[in-house]
Amino acid sequence: MVTYVVRRLMTAALILLGASFLVYLLTAASGDPLEEFRVNNSPQKQALMDARTQLLQLDVPAPVRYFRWLGGAAQCLVPFANSCDLGKNIAGQPVTDALGHALIQTLTLVTGATILAILIGITLGIITALRQYSALDYGVTFMAFLFFSLPIFWVAVLLKEFGAIGFNNFLRDPDVPLPVALAIGLVLGVIVAVAAGGALRRRLTVGAVVFAFVSAVLIYFSATLWFKNPGLGPVVIAIAGVGIAFAVTLLSAGLKNRKALQSSLIAVAVGVVLYFVVQPLLDQATFLMIVLLAVAAVLVGLGIGYLMGGYDRGQSMRAAAITSFLVGGMILLDRFMQAWPSYFDNSRVRGRPIATIGAGTPNIEGDFWILGLDSFTHLILPTMALILISLASYTRFTRASMLEIMNMDYIRTARAKGVSERTVVMRHAFRNALIPIATIVAFDIGGLIGGAVITESVFSVRGMGFLFLDGISHTDPNPVMGVFVCVAITAMGFNLIADLAYSALDPRVRVKA
Amino acid sequence: MRFGRISKAVGVAAAAALALSACAGNSGGSTPSSSAAAGKTGGSATVVEVNAFNTFNPNTADGNTDINSKVSYATHSGFYYIDNKLNVVRNEKFGKMEKTSDNPLTVKYTINDGVKWSDGTPVTTADLLLQWAAFSGYYNDADADAKTGTSYFSYAGDPTGLALTDFPELSDDGKSMTIKYSKPFADWEIALGGPGIDIPAHVLAKKAGLADAKAFVSLLKGMPRGDSKAPKPANAQLKAMSDLWNTGFDTKTLPADPELFLSNGPYVVKTINQDQSLTMVKNKDYNWGPDAKLDEITVRYIGDSAAQVQALKNGEADIIAPQASADTVDQLKALQSQGVTVDQGNQLSYDHIDLNYSGPFADKNVREAFMKTVPRKDIVDKIVKKLDDKAKPLDSQLFVPDQAAYADSVKNNGSSAYQDVDIDGAKKLLNGATPEVRIMYNKDNPNRVDAFSLIRESAAKAGFKIVDGGLGKSDWGKALGKGGYDATIFGWINPGVGVSGVPQIFKTGNDSNFNKFSDKDADKLMDELIVTTDKSKQDGLIQQIDKKIWDSAYGLPLFQAVGVDAYSDRITGVKYMPNQTGVWWNFWEWAQK
Repeated sequence: MVTYVVRRLMTAALILLGASFLVYLLTAASGDPLEEFRVNNSPQKQALMDARTQLLQLDVPAPVRYFRWLGGAAQCLVPFANSCDLGKNIAGQPVTDALGHALIQTLTLVTGATILAILIGITLGIITALRQYSALDYGVTFMAFLFFSLPIFWVAVLLKEFGAIGFNNFLRDPDVPLPVALAIGLVLGVIVAVAAGGALRRRLTVGAVVFAFVSAVLIYFSATLWFKNPGLGPVVIAIAGVGIAFAVTLLSAGLKNRKALQSSLIAVAVGVVLYFVVQPLLDQATFLMIVLLAVAAVLVGLGIGYLMGGYDRGQSMRAAAITSFLVGGMILLDRFMQAWPSYFDNSRVRGRPIATIGAGTPNIEGDFWILGLDSFTHLILPTMALILISLASYTRFTRASMLEIMNMDYIRTARAKGVSERTVVMRHAFRNALIPIATIVAFDIGGLIGGAVITESVFSVRGMGFLFLDGISHTDPNPVMGVFVCVAITAMGFNLIADLAYSALDPRVRVKA
Repeated sequence: MRFGRISKAVGVAAAAALALSACAGNSGGSTPSSSAAAGKTGGSATVVEVNAFNTFNPNTADGNTDINSKVSYATHSGFYYIDNKLNVVRNEKFGKMEKTSDNPLTVKYTINDGVKWSDGTPVTTADLLLQWAAFSGYYNDADADAKTGTSYFSYAGDPTGLALTDFPELSDDGKSMTIKYSKPFADWEIALGGPGIDIPAHVLAKKAGLADAKAFVSLLKGMPRGDSKAPKPANAQLKAMSDLWNTGFDTKTLPADPELFLSNGPYVVKTINQDQSLTMVKNKDYNWGPDAKLDEITVRYIGDSAAQVQALKNGEADIIAPQASADTVDQLKALQSQGVTVDQGNQLSYDHIDLNYSGPFADKNVREAFMKTVPRKDIVDKIVKKLDDKAKPLDSQLFVPDQAAYADSVKNNGSSAYQDVDIDGAKKLLNGATPEVRIMYNKDNPNRVDAFSLIRESAAKAGFKIVDGGLGKSDWGKALGKGGYDATIFGWINPGVGVSGVPQIFKTGNDSNFNKFSDKDADKLMDELIVTTDKSKQDGLIQQIDKKIWDSAYGLPLFQAVGVDAYSDRITGVKYMPNQTGVWWNFWEWAQK
């Protein structure tokens, strides 16, 4: 195992050296760094060219410059020496500084999107695998491929047009006319009717219920100007909480486990009571406090499950913990919604909350909730764009992997011995289907840092992609190399992790030196 | 037992609640009160820029990007600014700049009382002297080839004018300074003292270990002019100061030390959000220049033109000036219905085709014949009309239509002969010859490719054999002036104000005279031009030079680049400006409706 890792690391180092040499030469040869001065008619032209030549060492041949750069970069390997030198960019800023800032920008942009894409993608993949060749399966496949093949700059522009500009216009006077409400209800009803399984009669009923519910909710929202003063309130939290309790129990323990169901329901009840208790505390929230509250919610859930006891205490504890975490999430959501009107009317926001560019409103002031909403309104569109295009690979991989597993002999054996379908899917099939997905996820996290170049430029986030493009357009190898090294190291590191994880997850695979 | 457990749980919960309230934020109050605190800020505007701010000194070779200059322009004032008709406008409230003698050319700068930096220190001639020392390169004794001597201030601009001056004469009260030129210098008006005096001498002096600005002045007074033939060891104090001038003001965040971003203009920088935005607020002391209306100006950086347009549409930006393209202009025009105003105009950069005075074009008749075949109107129709339906070919090598003298010059310079394609005339001049002409251009620039194809098509009709000499983005610039082609299509940027650039392109033997144009009379006129200090006389001379260039069948200017800016109905007072300053030129007139 150790020899294997060491061997992989050595290969990686060699690949990195070779690739960086190549990238450096290609960047240096990609253009003329003095182009902007060549048609300059100022008498200072030569001096400017000399200054640029000196800054970028253009009088030195590119391969030699590469080794000078490598000399500086090699110092990054010396721990705690703080002598890392990746050179300077064309404006004289050290690349290490620029990278530090760009990395944070990029991670802010892509982390949420990646996590959500993985969660949604895997869920959809499993559902479509379980309902293979159903209308739902075809629908999801169609949508996944549709979004996958759309160019992201175009998706982003459409999202901005409708998700930001259109939605902000709507918020100015959030009135949903009756026909529109009915039409939206009808569309959703039809979609659900098509997607739902079962006999025609059942589908029609489900569709009708959804149609009636959605239309009614929209009419209610419109009449009460809910979009201006959104909120859930304890009643909705309680009703939704009960639903969550049933769903969580169904998936994690099975509804037959009455103790688990009771634990979850008690967790919901405690959550609704605590809703009133924590409101004054939440008014002074900080990020640390929210994290601690989340931990507390999980602990309360575990405690409830533990106290309920029963023959399988662990299941109750798990169900209650997940339920109380989700109910806590709803309380958090409700509090964000309470802050919405004051965010909306903030003089910096001027009643147009959903943003098309950047990571925050300049100069906005406010408490945790206002600032949190501000991040949310800025991140929602890029996150949606990234999710839409990366959903396809996750759903398809999960679906294929799940289908393969579901046709395995041991699944038939499990069914034959009378294991319930829930246990077959959740315990026998799902876990094994995740093994190939784990490697894909690791790959994707490796490619995450360098993978959002276009999204960054469309949403005007100056992250790694911007650094890279800007370096290329100025024929300035230093920032390009900085980005390359970061991306290459994470990609290779996560490749290694993926391989190791595979062997750790699948007992049939062994790492041999 | 059970009860015990529950009471334990309650105890734990109570302790947890206490711990949680301890880590509560001390921003205080609930949400509504804090939004009231954010409150009304009065008039404000958000302007979009392409590049991100990175230094408070826009004069250095590394720092002279447009955004740094614009921020400096809004936060500093000086003796003059340039308006959108490309005139130099004096700011007499800041001080007086007067030419006291023509021979030798002597200029006296007097700074008014009450003009001060935002830390309360008066703006004095020490600050002006610092600018003079930096811009003139007076103390530099570096010899680039021999690698000896010291180059102190790394100034991006043109030092040739101020290099003619001796150490200035300073009044005792620190309010007036007089510089004498050893020979007249045409661009004396824009050589020094504006549009902003941006680096405070007292801060630089203090940080370099000098007592105060007075010590700085006497240090400079004591030093002789640098001589690259006899370099001296570097002066440690001046070196420390120039190093600070060169890089000490570079920052992507707001420095903790307010002395590094002192203002003496209408606005002061208040916050910088790295690579996202920069906010300026009114300088409350300022009363020595045009009165600014807005309380606050925020600059946001958006590189992508479509993203700029959508930001304007979504109300996140109030003023934008995106890179003009047919798509951008269409998108902006579509916004006019929601109150957006779109301003279009010419920029100072223009494309032109130059003919080498050698090879097939050594014969003037061939040059003239070729010029007759250049379909300038078609080129404008194909490239520029989709952006600006009023676009016309540029008819002067030296003026742009925004300048008052353009119309006069065009009338007489002989450009009228090349308005329309004249194939028959060209054939007559060629007299049956079929010269082979290699045209060099940047083939990665679609506009140049279009221009080339149109020219090739038209010239071929007259019998020219056109060879495509297009080079890639990284090579065409290096090939300029190196021969290997007979004609080239590329762009110049007209300086707009100032005449020092004219001889660079058109005088015999100069660096940027790529096609080796040489005309004794024109040379003489240019020699006269750069020592002519009177604006109206300058215009007369340039008109004569323009005519000489056209008469010798130099080549043809094709069209000017199109600029576009747009602003929302919240804002008034934005006016189009063709030069680099862009919409910022009159930022003080911007107001919120």
